[in-house]
Amino acid sequence: MTFREKLKINERWKQMINTKVLDKILNKVEKPARYIGMEQNSIKKDLNKVKVKFAFSFPDIYDVGMSHLGLHILYNLINEEEDFACERVFSPWLDMEEEMRKENLPLFTLESKEEVKNFDFLGFTLQYEMSYTNILNILDLADIPLLSKDRKEEDPLVIAGGPCAYNPEPIADFIDFFVIGEGEEVTLEILHLYKKHKEEKGTRDEFLEKVATIEGVYVPKFYDIVYNDDNTIKEMIPISPKVPKVIKKRMIKDLNSMFSPEKMIVPFIETIHDRVVLEIFRGCTRGCRFCQAGMIYRPVREKSIDRLVELAEKLIESTGYENISLSSLSSCDYSELYLLISKLMERFEEKKVGVSLPSLRLDSFIIDILNEIEKVRKTGLTFAPEAGSQRLRDVINKGVTEDDLINTVTKVFKEGWSSIKLYFMIGLPTETDEDVLGIKDLAYKVKDIFFSLPKEERKGNLKITASASCFVPKPFTPFQWVGQDSIDEFHRKAHLLKNSIRDKKITFNYHDPKLSYLEAIIARGDRRISKLILRAWEKGCKFDGWSEHFKYDKWIEAMEELNIDGDFYALRTRDFDEVLPWDFIDPLVSKKYLIREFKKSLEGETTGDCREGCRGCGIVDCVMRGEK
Amino acid sequence: MIIRVKFNKKNYLKYISHLDLMRLFQRSFNRANIPVKYSKGFNPQPKFSIGAPLSLGIESEEEYMDIDLEYMPVAEFIDRMNRVLPEDIQIISGKYLKREESLNSIIAWSNYEIQFKTDHRKSKEEINKVIDNWLLHEKIMITKIRKKKGKEIEKEINIRPFIGNVIVKDVNNNITISVLLKTGSNGNLNPMDFVNVLNRDCELNIDMDTISIKRLALYAEKGDELYKPL
Repeated sequence: MTFREKLKINERWKQMINTKVLDKILNKVEKPARYIGMEQNSIKKDLNKVKVKFAFSFPDIYDVGMSHLGLHILYNLINEEEDFACERVFSPWLDMEEEMRKENLPLFTLESKEEVKNFDFLGFTLQYEMSYTNILNILDLADIPLLSKDRKEEDPLVIAGGPCAYNPEPIADFIDFFVIGEGEEVTLEILHLYKKHKEEKGTRDEFLEKVATIEGVYVPKFYDIVYNDDNTIKEMIPISPKVPKVIKKRMIKDLNSMFSPEKMIVPFIETIHDRVVLEIFRGCTRGCRFCQAGMIYRPVREKSIDRLVELAEKLIESTGYENISLSSLSSCDYSELYLLISKLMERFEEKKVGVSLPSLRLDSFIIDILNEIEKVRKTGLTFAPEAGSQRLRDVINKGVTEDDLINTVTKVFKEGWSSIKLYFMIGLPTETDEDVLGIKDLAYKVKDIFFSLPKEERKGNLKITASASCFVPKPFTPFQWVGQDSIDEFHRKAHLLKNSIRDKKITFNYHDPKLSYLEAIIARGDRRISKLILRAWEKGCKFDGWSEHFKYDKWIEAMEELNIDGDFYALRTRDFDEVLPWDFIDPLVSKKYLIREFKKSLEGETTGDCREGCRGCGIVDCVMRGEK
Repeated sequence: MIIRVKFNKKNYLKYISHLDLMRLFQRSFNRANIPVKYSKGFNPQPKFSIGAPLSLGIESEEEYMDIDLEYMPVAEFIDRMNRVLPEDIQIISGKYLKREESLNSIIAWSNYEIQFKTDHRKSKEEINKVIDNWLLHEKIMITKIRKKKGKEIEKEINIRPFIGNVIVKDVNNNITISVLLKTGSNGNLNPMDFVNVLNRDCELNIDMDTISIKRLALYAEKGDELYKPL
């Protein structure tokens, strides 16, 4: 070993964070257990012995990030490899950040309390656009240059994946490369490539060139964007012949043979999902036209009952949890749901392990199942009709009728539930005031159903909560070309509703239209939006998704300073032939299908569930296609 | 049958709260396949209780927990639990109770070891003397803020009866003192409140960022005798 190398090792040791300072800080902050790691099933390896160190980051606080299933999958996937270590890092809460900055304590991983800066990779999962300023804050706290172009050989490779990576452009300046699609296979391909590259002592740029050839990987710096005079995109040009023109999403063919975690980290503190999360299938066959997840996670692929029971057993054993949540985009659609639930209940009855269903459809068959599994308490139920009128539900292809709702709600009340939440959106394409007031009508109908029951059949105190969120058009949905309602229009519609609902049993609330406006700008933003996010962060924006910390004025200030027109991104309706910032990504669902669906929506024409026949969305390897 | 066990809580795990600890034990019973008894009713809960909850940020050598379970050998219980518990929370010993006496009804005193830095360069004897003189007072008052129906109510309490022996053990580098404080339903003094009032009255100039507290033992009281719950 040369003297220089020895010196480097010494330096490295010095860089490990000062745990005395950490201890002092932890005594001052709220919920210090967020920052200590050491939970059941967390994995701490000797970082000096592994070849590739990966820091996984969910850019929000621990309590939120630990409830994300993808974290548990990738964490275990990477750590199963002897040569790799995956450690976690979250956004410190405001009190912790303040102390860390005061004490000059750099951001560290929970497992080894090692500086994030000393990792080979820092990987972000992008679950919502409003977390992007937190990414910058994490980079800053970790003392990593914010802009990809400023990073040096010794800095970690900053990468990102997850649903929002389907439009990577708004954060293209900060991220060295993106991974599009499902991560189980491609993550290991990337890390193995890196291990080899490191052994061969290659440079950062050489690695980026190599990794760009892996399917699903997008390296922004290898592409130039040319704009038209009207600010729309003229074209995207790869600057090297080696990189692909189109980035195809990664998709796992068989979920039964795919890596699935048999362990989950069990947090000490209470998090949103304090239970085993069992992923039962991916994709969705419903084809709701506003839903990005429903499009990008196609095709639908189920895990078998045998595999699920096997995984459930291992997860219950390794965690000690007392509840299993069956997770997917629409769990009630699992083809043999009843059989799965009875098998799980039979298997775990003795252990007092409960089974729960997170997302609910308006279907009375589900109520039978719920009755079976919710033997204990009849707490609130949540339904999402999304729109108030049948006409508008047809436009968005929400395959739910008023009869469905009435039948289900009647049954639910008879079974003893009395607290119902109804989720809606306002600002959907073609919406009229009549549609908006349909939300009120529906809520009143639910109330009437309750009171039309004979008194002895009603149980509890009726409570209806109707919530409206403001529609945000998303990439890769049939509504990706649509202009969003203005903030004023959202307010007008919300007030129209608020003033019309005058009943003590019904509570109406709606999401902040300002937040939805920003979300719409970023969701369909291009590369120029990176500058906006950076400027907003410089002005103190972070935790934008937390309404109490969202600083709308700062964002507007930033847009004015940079001469960025938010309405151009949020409110403008695009032509079908406009080059969209995310057009170079292939989600396997075809643009032709999205256009067809959009045109049908304007006619109020619905498209049936894929399970009843293939709808020709363009996906080749889909079981629904074979059954036609 | 009710088994009483002694366990510790060390290092970073001092940062998990009492409620977190309860959840940790509940899951550990599940993972270790301990035949814990459950309460009856709509929401059955495992029957166990931890005596004298420890404040967040304080380590402990000796905590106690009672668990109602179907009989299994004590050694096996400890072995199975320690295998699933984190290394900084481990069960040290255990015993089946002959008669039921809940931990919370018997625990009366805690022995804490408190360490801190100060800018004073006093000798051990000098500090001992200052503290002894302080303890001669019949009344040592503190202001407690209680929340009642959303209103904050200030209350003056005399904590002198809640302070037992105070011994200065070491003054090199850190000052280390050992103190006996009243704990439980018949009077309770939080060690941080004690340090604050000690600093206020004895002018020790304690550097509050350097305070580290560890509970060394819990005691029950019979007459003038103190004894350990196990």
